[in-house]
Amino acid sequence: MTSSRSSFRDGRGFDRLLVGLTLGFLLVFSAFPLVYNLIMSFQEVDLFTLGSFDRPWVGLENYADVTGHRVFGLIATNTAIFVAVSVAAQLVIGFALALFFQQSFPGATWLRGLFLAGWIMPGLVVGAVWSFILSGDFGVLNWGLMTLGITDGRVFWLSSPDTALYAVIIANVWLGVPFNMILLSVGLSAIPEDVYEAAELDGAGRVRRFLTITLPLMRAQIGAVLSLGIIFTLQQFDLFAALTQGGPANGSNVLQYWSWELSFTDYRIGQGSAVSVLMILLVVLVAVVYVRSTRHEHVA
Amino acid sequence: MTYQIEIEGVDKHYGAYHALRDVDVRIPTGQFVALVGPSGCGKSTLLRTIAGLETISEGRIRIAGRDVSSVPPRERDIAMVFQSYALYPHMTVAGNLMYSLRLKGMSRAQARARAEEIAAITGLSDLMHRYPRELSGGQRQRVAMGRAIVRSPAAFLFDEPLSNLDAALRVHMRSEIRKLHNRIGATSVYVTHDQIEAMTMADHVVVMRAGRIEQQGAPLELYDRPVNRFVAGFIGSPAMNFVEGLVTEDGRHVRLALPGEPALAFTGRRPPGEVVVVGLRPEHLTPVGGDQAGGNRLELPVALVERTGSASYVVSDTEPSILIAATERLAGLRDGMFAVAIDPACVHLFHSDTGLALDRMG
Repeated sequence: MTSSRSSFRDGRGFDRLLVGLTLGFLLVFSAFPLVYNLIMSFQEVDLFTLGSFDRPWVGLENYADVTGHRVFGLIATNTAIFVAVSVAAQLVIGFALALFFQQSFPGATWLRGLFLAGWIMPGLVVGAVWSFILSGDFGVLNWGLMTLGITDGRVFWLSSPDTALYAVIIANVWLGVPFNMILLSVGLSAIPEDVYEAAELDGAGRVRRFLTITLPLMRAQIGAVLSLGIIFTLQQFDLFAALTQGGPANGSNVLQYWSWELSFTDYRIGQGSAVSVLMILLVVLVAVVYVRSTRHEHVA
Repeated sequence: MTYQIEIEGVDKHYGAYHALRDVDVRIPTGQFVALVGPSGCGKSTLLRTIAGLETISEGRIRIAGRDVSSVPPRERDIAMVFQSYALYPHMTVAGNLMYSLRLKGMSRAQARARAEEIAAITGLSDLMHRYPRELSGGQRQRVAMGRAIVRSPAAFLFDEPLSNLDAALRVHMRSEIRKLHNRIGATSVYVTHDQIEAMTMADHVVVMRAGRIEQQGAPLELYDRPVNRFVAGFIGSPAMNFVEGLVTEDGRHVRLALPGEPALAFTGRRPPGEVVVVGLRPEHLTPVGGDQAGGNRLELPVALVERTGSASYVVSDTEPSILIAATERLAGLRDGMFAVAIDPACVHLFHSDTGLALDRMG
């Protein structure tokens, strides 16, 4: 007792305590669920076997069931569109805003701060707000479009199979733009002003300066924003729950929402786990590409 | 004489702040001009207005005869070496050198050949594939120089290019830049706060203070005939001594406000009884033997003697203290009185209020 207390006081035990706490947290809340999920994806898990660890092993049957499901193609395509369009739009709009706020004008810092408001709001709340905006009967978007004469009749954004996915994408882009903007702003302000001045004296106009100076020097930030954007977008669940619940007829369903549906509404937990394992593989792949692309990054 | 850069009546305001006040400079083709002054004097602003990186509020700037006052920087045909070098961090040395050539539409092969040629002149040939972060301070400086030379511009602008180097390298690069100038012969404007750099490198020195030109001319002209107390104190190292003085009845001597009120003869004459500021350069006060009779003699109590080997500095125990720079070793001198002589032609007189150099009547 005395020896452990003295070792704590001279700091030798403290480092072990800190490492132990972190490691314990990761084991309990990250590693265990991950491994447990992986195990379940190879088992037959339903309401009857949920309570015991001793469940029938089914090999890759869950994976075969899931990938052979008649909606799998639709949902995978939806996921790809959702991720690609969201991330591209977030990057372009976020970059444009970052460039805009890089100009010095009165209130630039304040306005940029205001843009963060969207980011700190819970996804469910954002979803509720957007469901008001996108509502077919009383939505402000329809009112605006009709008043401006762009559309003749009401568009039922959330309940039409053609628009439901894009309705969620719009909300998701809105949610993700501030994060992109802030990260890209940090990168932009790290580029020294005199490098631009040197380029200007060397004969580069605005467009050339953007293409030959800004973009190459922003490579690391763009890579980070893209890969984090893909990961965040693959995690996006709240907006689907709040806006379309994957409907109509899986028209806006994506893998992450489907995984939840399989597990917690259909209680085909083994199949739900298989879908989430597939998603984990996807995220790991993105992370590896990102880490490899930044490994050779030139730090100025 | 043809002028490569002509600056006429240029004014620059930043809001209420008056950064440049009615600046006139004419730079003959091929000259090396130094803009020198304390920080905040407007020298960098003036350089940036020539480059077009700052707009001017009033006046006119001509480069090679063309009015460029409202021409954007990239159309001015000017190259600049920045204090931070401002190299393109994502490009190799070769990329940095070729950037402007490629923008001009030169083919890759041609641009590379030209870059190689410049690299040979600036000693960068072995570093062409390196990135700026892999270079030492001196090498980065060379790349910045090379990037400017490669374009053969109408004029070179230097914004304190040596201030980030250590003292030894600074002295070395000083002569390198000047040698390069002699070789290329392009008009150069060089901003520095270091008057030694200005004096040693430039054909023509422009001394600035508070947005105004105090004096401009050949380096030794500024040293020999400063128009006011500011220029007199700024040019020359160690700095000139200033003592208050009173012109005597004969109008040819000045009585210094030092113990014993010694009188010094000066050339010409001033009204008797006039209160003036007397300027004495430390190197013009030459030690004389104790009992030797000299025309213009000053005896001062010694507070401190510093010997560097090549020179000795004596600080007098007076208020204000007088610094004497002698080339002798002055061995044995420790305290007591110390006698120096000065040529009447080297006694500078300034107005006690305005600080302007005073005319001497015959």
